[in-house]
Amino acid sequence: MILVPLLIFPAIFIALPLFLQGEAAELSSYELTVEVQGELPEDLSSHLDGRNLIIIETDLLVNGTLSNPGGDAERLNSGVGDDIHAILRLREIDSNASQSWYYAILSDSTDELSLEAKTRTLDAILTWEADVINATLAENNLTRDEAFDPIHWDGDQDDADVASGGDLAAMGLAMFIPLVVAMWTTTAAIQPSIDLTAGERERGTMEALLCTPTARSDLLFGKWLAVATVACVSVLGQMAGLLFAVNFLTGGGLEAPSISTGGVLLLLLSVILFAIFVVAIELAVAVRAHSVREAGSILGPMVLIFIGPTLFAQFVNLQGIELWWFVLPIFNITLAMREALMGIYDPMHIFMWVTTSLAYAIGAIWWASKQFNREDLVESLS
Amino acid sequence: MTIDLWVGDMVKTLLKVSDVTKSFADVTALSTVSVDFHAGEVVGLVGGNGAGKTTLLRLLCGLYQPTSGTVQGVVDEQPVDIHRMREHVGVVPEATGLYARLTAWENIRYHSRLNGIDDDMAWTRTERFAKLLNFDHDLHRSTRGFSRGMRQKTALLRALSHGPEILLLDEPTGGLDVTSARMVRKLVRKLGDEGGTVIYSTHNLAEAQQVCDRIIIIHNGTIRADGAPEELMSSAGRDDLEEAYVALTDDVARTDAPAEDEGRIARAWRRMLTRGGGSVE
Repeated sequence: MILVPLLIFPAIFIALPLFLQGEAAELSSYELTVEVQGELPEDLSSHLDGRNLIIIETDLLVNGTLSNPGGDAERLNSGVGDDIHAILRLREIDSNASQSWYYAILSDSTDELSLEAKTRTLDAILTWEADVINATLAENNLTRDEAFDPIHWDGDQDDADVASGGDLAAMGLAMFIPLVVAMWTTTAAIQPSIDLTAGERERGTMEALLCTPTARSDLLFGKWLAVATVACVSVLGQMAGLLFAVNFLTGGGLEAPSISTGGVLLLLLSVILFAIFVVAIELAVAVRAHSVREAGSILGPMVLIFIGPTLFAQFVNLQGIELWWFVLPIFNITLAMREALMGIYDPMHIFMWVTTSLAYAIGAIWWASKQFNREDLVESLS
Repeated sequence: MTIDLWVGDMVKTLLKVSDVTKSFADVTALSTVSVDFHAGEVVGLVGGNGAGKTTLLRLLCGLYQPTSGTVQGVVDEQPVDIHRMREHVGVVPEATGLYARLTAWENIRYHSRLNGIDDDMAWTRTERFAKLLNFDHDLHRSTRGFSRGMRQKTALLRALSHGPEILLLDEPTGGLDVTSARMVRKLVRKLGDEGGTVIYSTHNLAEAQQVCDRIIIIHNGTIRADGAPEELMSSAGRDDLEEAYVALTDDVARTDAPAEDEGRIARAWRRMLTRGGGSVE
């Protein structure tokens, strides 16, 4: 269970691209057939060579628009007959330029091999087109930059950014850390919350547990601690996996984010308060359920209540933000995490989110405690 | 703390139930029940389904709060809150409530630790009673896949592991085979003979007559009779306990077993629907 959050981001960011690369390589190994209708210029022919294509040259019998498949549609999408994967139609037109052509590539977008044939043919045409443009410019004593990029940036655009690599890394973290924390705290806490409450009710272990001299508040704290531990380990695993994946993708060039000690402490405080709040709410809801199935059917959709505001708060502009944002539950924690990561320390903001989050956490604990003192805790549907 | 059986020449009272009524929503599970439980007696709570036996047991171990009246423990002749008696009480709920991932001993040890008992002491007690139940070779087996009898024995050992003065058993022989039920009965009797207090609910009159010093017949949430088996037969004018039971409960048993608290919204909704004589169902 702990390995799942640790591996999910590496799986998405590393394994998935590797898998896709493998699939693309497999596709590129196929020898595909392209029928060229019309006169095939020698330059284009040379670009089509080396793309694992079998070229069949025929006459162009179309008088109208080249994109109109006409009778060729059936040859391509029936999958029978000539085994032609794509058809390139070419018609040279009169113009002032040295060369000018109309073209169209007929293909079947629902057929992977047909699409691959179209992609390879298009690549060849674009390369040929670049050669034609360069040749035309040369005939007129022009360079490519003079023609297409007369006003251009001098040097590297990244060099002109005064933000340090650490600042950029911190801003990057601020974009997804709150979301990861919200998603994994809420989702990771669901299963243990249900198992330790509704699950215990259903299995009949709750009644035996409540008959011991241990106070109900102690039992609830024990359950809360277990669920919070699972949730926190999951979040940490998720973040470690994410940072590893990002670092791997950037070739180890990821710079350490510039976050002060105060920022780290505020971030930790916000995560802890959020975990207290979320776990207590989920425990309280699960305690009310009479069965595991009932608890699951309530807590599953309830995750959206936590994730929705977090997602929304990601887009709130932190510059000149109104104070009341830091009063709203969930929003306040998300914004607090963003500010801590971005190095924004507004005493009023901090005071507001700390006090309100503390109040929400205490309220959630009180509600969970109230639910855990219910008499019908020993009843179950089983 | 240990509890002496006698105060002077008088039997010592351990649990005191006074004018207790317990209601769940619109259903009254127990109605003005008063009864004392004394040290060293084996008491059988006998009654049909929904009579109120389990409710009374749950009140005695503090899982339920009475709607009216009081349920108290007695320590040093002083009434105390029932929750203060928890460390002196061992409970075997009807569902047994074992963790399937743990062995029998691990289940027992977990509860003895919650009762503040060290493992060595718990093991000594457990081993002793396990031998009586012919269960000592199964203590280190996982409870997953245990038969009903084995589960019941584990739950009994768990309830005894911290050395309680009072044992509350909810249908301890229900669903057991003849041999297992006999072992449980023998253990209960032995505990009674050694001065322990056992209160247990059962449907089985013959079993109650065989094991109990005292039988309390509960019917429709009220106590219909309370005394030694011979006293019950005598008061009903019958020679047979079963006939005495029928005579003492000779009215229609209620069919509305205590319901769980349905909640304010559900209750309001049901009342609204039934106001015109309609029914929710």
